[in-house]
Amino acid sequence: MDISRRKFLQIGAVASGSVVCAGVKPASARDLREPNPEWLGMLNDTTRCIGCKACQVACKKENKLPMESTLNESANVGRDVYDAPRGLSERTYTLIKMQQDEENEKTTFVKTQCMHCSEPACASACIVGALKKQDNGAVAYDSGLCMGCRYCMVACPFNVPQFEWQNAIPSIKKCTLCRETKLKEGKPTACSSVCPAGAISFGKRSDLIKLARKRIEKDPELYQDHIYGEKEVGGTGVLYLARPKMQFASLGLPAFKYRTVAGLTESIQHRIFQYFIPPIAVYSVLGGIMYRNQSRKKNGGEEGGSHE
Amino acid sequence: MNKAAPLQLNFFTPNVWLLIFFMGSGAVFAFFRFFYGFGSVTNLNAAYPFGIWIAFDVACGVALAAGGFTTAAIVEIFGRDKYHALVRPAILTAFIGYFLVGLAVFFDLGKYYNIWHALVYWNGTSVLFEVAWCVMLYLTVLGIENIPAVVEQFKGKVNLPGQLASFNKPSEWLLGKADNILNRTMAFFVIAGVVLSFGHQSSLGTMMLIAPYKLHDLWYTPLSPLLFLTSAVSVGLPMVIFEASLATVLFKRKPETELLADIAKYIPLFLGTYLLLRIGDLAYRGVLAQAFDGSVQGNSFLVEFALFAVPYFMLKRRKIRRDALKLFLCAFSVILGVVLNRFNVFLIGMDMGPEFNYFPSVGEFAVTFAFLAFGVFLYRLGVNYLPILEEQ
Repeated sequence: MDISRRKFLQIGAVASGSVVCAGVKPASARDLREPNPEWLGMLNDTTRCIGCKACQVACKKENKLPMESTLNESANVGRDVYDAPRGLSERTYTLIKMQQDEENEKTTFVKTQCMHCSEPACASACIVGALKKQDNGAVAYDSGLCMGCRYCMVACPFNVPQFEWQNAIPSIKKCTLCRETKLKEGKPTACSSVCPAGAISFGKRSDLIKLARKRIEKDPELYQDHIYGEKEVGGTGVLYLARPKMQFASLGLPAFKYRTVAGLTESIQHRIFQYFIPPIAVYSVLGGIMYRNQSRKKNGGEEGGSHE
Repeated sequence: MNKAAPLQLNFFTPNVWLLIFFMGSGAVFAFFRFFYGFGSVTNLNAAYPFGIWIAFDVACGVALAAGGFTTAAIVEIFGRDKYHALVRPAILTAFIGYFLVGLAVFFDLGKYYNIWHALVYWNGTSVLFEVAWCVMLYLTVLGIENIPAVVEQFKGKVNLPGQLASFNKPSEWLLGKADNILNRTMAFFVIAGVVLSFGHQSSLGTMMLIAPYKLHDLWYTPLSPLLFLTSAVSVGLPMVIFEASLATVLFKRKPETELLADIAKYIPLFLGTYLLLRIGDLAYRGVLAQAFDGSVQGNSFLVEFALFAVPYFMLKRRKIRRDALKLFLCAFSVILGVVLNRFNVFLIGMDMGPEFNYFPSVGEFAVTFAFLAFGVFLYRLGVNYLPILEEQ
């Protein structure tokens, strides 16, 4: 009797546990969605960028962002500071960073901004859907919906979304692909339209990939045969070209896998709550155990768990 | 079976004044957070958007409130009636715990006044969406599970002063109705509470899987939801033992060593399951070596693992379970293990890029301590005026 009761408890625990497992175990990345050829994006050619930061100025003007200073920051950081500001912030949506390859010590200017991913992790993570991939390709943010939980900042593999730490009522700030301004007037993004070196090309993502291919084919001496962002994290709206024998990671563009960042969480969520089968199964198992124990108590008039 | 009764002690003891002091100092920092922004109080930054308020107040808060559903499951579902005395305090602490989790989320949200958006604007792909719904529903269920204590205390005794006396009858009617309905439906809520707990305890483990390139290999595993669930189940009884031991000392009650020692026999079962899954997962993914590379994360993992493993082996021995102090220390070790595990997943194991560091500010600590103090304060209030603890 005693043994069977304990067995019963264990079986119950294992059964309910395995129901949950069944939902979790086969979690693998779901199939990638094909990027829409109509989506707009940008191609940043790091071989052309001269580091003049005209794009930064244009971005600040377009979005009416205040200036930031890195004066005296070298003392805090303990080394020379070449970037101003040092990283993206709630006041800086795009930034030219000077990257130095550790091996050949060559320096490259790399533009950073929101990548406008095909499968944005931020949009997958956002609890209220305040971040959404638009039909024109921009990943847009709706400050009216946002609760300010900052889960998008955790989710973004490029650390793009920024938070207004100094505001009593803070919002997320990031590059908008000039969705509300330039794009509405049918013009290219502010940063791309001012670049004097032709390093930033604006257009449909599909066209930009063709353009990048053409550049690589035409001048294989100058270009590495890889378009960063074509496949990384499921594809990004902003693409990069680089010199040969240069690690993209050393340009601040990590070697991310080709599957989407949110693939694992989405498939786990999906499996646990598909048709509510696992929760209902756990509920039924527990209900059955409870019913059995209570009816036994009624019949036998015996208190449970009197062993040991 | 003994009956539960309110303690009816003198409420404002020096300890309670200490709690009020902590709550007050937290409130001062909270004022700045709400009116001058996070930057005026916290050390949060672009690379560490989640700080101690999420890692401790929310992640640990939810895990440590697991005593509610584990005790309810053991007693009500698996029919182990002899542990009946432990259910009410566990359910009350779980309710207080989840209430504080909700409050902590409110403090941590930039646009706290939009908190209701989680109910209206749905994004099914978001892990947080699931966590929010489960926590909310479970808080409701816990509220309902606590009603019988209120009914028992006040039914037939409602006697409001002065003008309010006209509400005596409706209040009585309400209590009677609640008593009547809950007597027949409580089983439904008890099971719902367990299922909802399974849901969000595991989903909290899914949360940081959104960041495969930031979370350390030792914690980034598809099994994370199951590990979070099993570790929460493992810490349920240790929390009950921890609280009961403290209540014994602080309220000068007779120790319940025998009962606690008896129920503690289940802990190795749960802990063993967790440790097996944890080791199996690490070995299967081949990342065990990283635990010994001397890095902060590796060392933090080793400490975390020891905090789980040592009490597992200790509590298997009946003699240790029967020793009140050793039992308390073992329970405390499991609690610390879970706390460190949540910190590892949410903070220590998160490499958010170079040039950024995070250590909680004084203000963040003050607010967290204020929440803890508020929790103890509410518990004190509960056991003093409601029939939670059994008469001795």
